[in-house]
Amino acid sequence: MGSSIRKAIELILSADPELLNILSTTAKVCLTSSILALVLGVPVGILLGAERFPGRKVLLVLNRTLIGMPPVVCGLLFYMLFSGVGPFRHLHWLFTVKLMILAQVVLITPIIIGVMETFVADTAPALRETARGLGFGRMKEYRLLMNECLYSIFSAYLLSFARAIAEVGAVAMVGGAIAWKTNVMTTAIMMYTNRGSFTLGIALGLILLTLSLLVNIVLSVMQGRLSR
Amino acid sequence: MKTTAFTKTYSRRMVLSLPELTLPEGKITAVIGPNGSGKSTFAKVLSGIEAADGRHPVLSGVSVGYLPQKSFPFRMSTEKNILQNGSDPARAAALMKALGIEALAGQSAKKLSGGETARMALCRILMRRYDLLILDEPTAAMDMESTLAAENCIRAYCAESGCGVLLITHSISQARRLADQIVVLHEGRLIEQGDTERVLSSPREAQTRRFLEFFGV
Repeated sequence: MGSSIRKAIELILSADPELLNILSTTAKVCLTSSILALVLGVPVGILLGAERFPGRKVLLVLNRTLIGMPPVVCGLLFYMLFSGVGPFRHLHWLFTVKLMILAQVVLITPIIIGVMETFVADTAPALRETARGLGFGRMKEYRLLMNECLYSIFSAYLLSFARAIAEVGAVAMVGGAIAWKTNVMTTAIMMYTNRGSFTLGIALGLILLTLSLLVNIVLSVMQGRLSR
Repeated sequence: MKTTAFTKTYSRRMVLSLPELTLPEGKITAVIGPNGSGKSTFAKVLSGIEAADGRHPVLSGVSVGYLPQKSFPFRMSTEKNILQNGSDPARAAALMKALGIEALAGQSAKKLSGGETARMALCRILMRRYDLLILDEPTAAMDMESTLAAENCIRAYCAESGCGVLLITHSISQARRLADQIVVLHEGRLIEQGDTERVLSSPREAQTRRFLEFFGV
């Protein structure tokens, strides 16, 4: 165990090409999917939190269901849609980074919607009463609401990024964990552990833990600054 | 200006049923009454925050400013909060000074105490001229010194702008100090209306007398 950890650290320090490839694929998948999910999820979350309209409760239940959706179910769904018998087979997206990103977006957008909806539903009524009392229009009301949401948007993004980077089920199914092509940190850890090669797995695990620590440090620091 | 007669119902329970009311311009009208008499609902319907039954307009063609009981401090400095409602920094500075919060101008409004937030909120609403300004217990969180300063600001605003002010208050002494006329609500109905001194010194309705006796008036 001790020697494996030492070798893993050496692997990180030596900038092993395969390790770098896995890291760059992971960064590409996670950053793209979390940014796309943010762009989609923030407006929907704010809308669900701030407005009351027919069907809103149904959408909230649907979103909560999607938050709890097992990643492998998501992976299975996309596998069926894009495999040789699926309706989107002509796109040839199965076992590509594109489909991994799409699956991740479907998995993490509900998290962002949920975080934003909870915050906005709590904040919007008091802010709206004050803004309308002052005679502000809808646009100004929404600008002020967005300003209140800055920390929530930030923490929702970090949460979704953390979920994306730790996700394994869906990306393994739709990406196939192909070395030098679709292998991300989590699928690589599984693959190398199955082969009995712990060194690369431990190195990736250490990097994942460090990233998780960094995300939490950034969250703590920004919480103080943005909540002012 | 005149309000139309209206009713307001929550969950099939009528909480407010008021006749047509006259709110004189350039004057302060205090609305008093026990808890649950419908004072805040009256303020919300009048300001358009909540709709009257049937969604018919209670006030038409007038600009209304409304300061809720708990005003929301936006996530920015105290001064920027105030300047959200006007672009005159000199007026903002004068109001902050009058209400004793000039030293808090650069401080985040989220860090203000309850009394300071109430003073900031009053400064903010007084930045702009409305035809009717509705203040829902604007001094409830303030100490006596701040309350008197706030009352001076409200009086000056009313005199300078010539707008009508509707003051929801629990304080009979504040109503006596500030208001030109008083409206008494009880269980969602208007039970008495008249000049402040007349209502407080010789109320016509038994419910008004009972309410005032409770405050030792």
